[in-house]
Amino acid sequence: MSSVIMTDSLTKQYGEKAVVNKLDLKVPSGSIYGFLGPNGAGKSTTLKLLLGLIKPTEGHMKLLGREVNTENRLAILSQTGSLIESPAYYGHLSGKENLRIICTLKDVPFKEIDKVLEIVRMTKQQNKKVSKYSLGMKQRLGLAAALLGAPKLLLLDEPTNGLDPAGIQEMRELICSLPEQYGMSVVVSSHLLSEIDQMATHAGIIDHGQLIFQDSLSSLHEHSKSRIILHTDNDSEALKILKQLNIPAIRKDGSLLLKVQQDALVAKTIASLVRGGIGILRVYEQQMSLEDIFLHLTGKQVSL
Amino acid sequence: MNSSTMRGLKAERKKARHRKVWLVPLGFLFFEVIWMLWQLSSIKEEERITGYLMLFYQLPIMNTILLPAMISVIASRLCDMEIKGDTLKLLYTLQRPSSFFDCKFITGIKYLLCFTIGHGILIPAAGQIFHFGSPLKVSMLAAYLAVMLCTGMILSAIQQTLSLMSNSQIMPLATGLAGSFLGLFSLFFPAPAARLIIWGYFAAFPCVKMNWDRTTKITEFYEVPFPLSGFFIFTVTGILIFIICRTIAVKKEV
Repeated sequence: MSSVIMTDSLTKQYGEKAVVNKLDLKVPSGSIYGFLGPNGAGKSTTLKLLLGLIKPTEGHMKLLGREVNTENRLAILSQTGSLIESPAYYGHLSGKENLRIICTLKDVPFKEIDKVLEIVRMTKQQNKKVSKYSLGMKQRLGLAAALLGAPKLLLLDEPTNGLDPAGIQEMRELICSLPEQYGMSVVVSSHLLSEIDQMATHAGIIDHGQLIFQDSLSSLHEHSKSRIILHTDNDSEALKILKQLNIPAIRKDGSLLLKVQQDALVAKTIASLVRGGIGILRVYEQQMSLEDIFLHLTGKQVSL
Repeated sequence: MNSSTMRGLKAERKKARHRKVWLVPLGFLFFEVIWMLWQLSSIKEEERITGYLMLFYQLPIMNTILLPAMISVIASRLCDMEIKGDTLKLLYTLQRPSSFFDCKFITGIKYLLCFTIGHGILIPAAGQIFHFGSPLKVSMLAAYLAVMLCTGMILSAIQQTLSLMSNSQIMPLATGLAGSFLGLFSLFFPAPAARLIIWGYFAAFPCVKMNWDRTTKITEFYEVPFPLSGFFIFTVTGILIFIICRTIAVKKEV
């Protein structure tokens, strides 16, 4: 599968601090690439570097198969759309007038406006002043602006920030539909693991400016080792027995968490507990959540 | 002018819709018309012979007071929407930052040019209405308009840079107002100090000087040669100031 974004040791330093540190991104064509990381990890800076809004301290990048430099930056970006941080808009103009400005700058016919407004479901609000829009509407207008000119690549920075639950769901559905319906590749950054889990086909995890994971989402899930959760009628006594059997276990949220995977060992453990007079109430397997994986990879908690 | 600059200018025209920026130069021009009517309605018959000379002496001083404020308001009206709407990070993916700066500058100059043309119409009109005794010297009018436009353009570049660099428009507007006062006071500064005050340059290249006789209390206006070499140096300095302003604005990370 070809890549729409490839970076090689992309670095951005402010003074001594490397905000983005030797990043080797690889975004497959036609994918929804979830760019994940806690606040301040370097996600927005990376996206700004990709768009040429800030200059890298070192490193190279290829967008849509072409090495980006000062000369061809705008030509390459004419095939991309972006929504960085908060939506950009002219509050004194209507939504349609805002899109006309983008059309003029992108050299795209005005007739595309109706199409993108339909995609983001904003046809009815197009003549309203943007200053009167809710944040969700502004965000959708920003997405409409990014979609003008049918770009091959979309870069969306925290597109669901500040949206209400319904708006978040709507935005997610919209983003998910883009690769299939319009053949776009999408990079969507977020600090919310659950969000990426629901949208992305591929994921990259950045922390302190460094890429700590990059692969398909299914591969990320494979990193999740299953655990056995055990509910007993006497957790303290059960824990003692498990210790005697050298079975790694901890008490968590009113249950016992067994770090064993092999079926035979699970069966042997349960049998030993029953023999020890422990009543087994429930036994089930739990996959590691993305939060846990993140914690495992970075060693720190991330917001949900 | 290449097609991307043309698109940038078209976009600027679209952005300025509903902003009523035209009202700013029109309002200032209206104020100057009122001032002219007030000045000229009390003019004595014997003074009509030097009517144009009087205008060419007084109008640059008026410009020193009014134009810095007007230019700061225009620049603020045009740039504030970019800051409020956080649009630069989108625009810079669609046009070069330098091209954006140039298009914004040209848009601002459009209003200044209209104000200048307004003066070019008003001065001969005043001569006709108040029957000035001597004919209007076109070279004098051209020099007056050139100084006004050139100084205005340099101030526009400075004000635009300030407006684009500031998150709030209070500082650029305050700079414009302070420039008005500083420019006016600079007319009384020693020449080397006055040369440092860019806002005072509206009145720095006079074609007309005044002589006031303390004993007879007669004011006499007389023509002096236009300081062409000084104006040329000023224009070159202005181009340098524009380049510096553009470099500063373009280097701003968004």
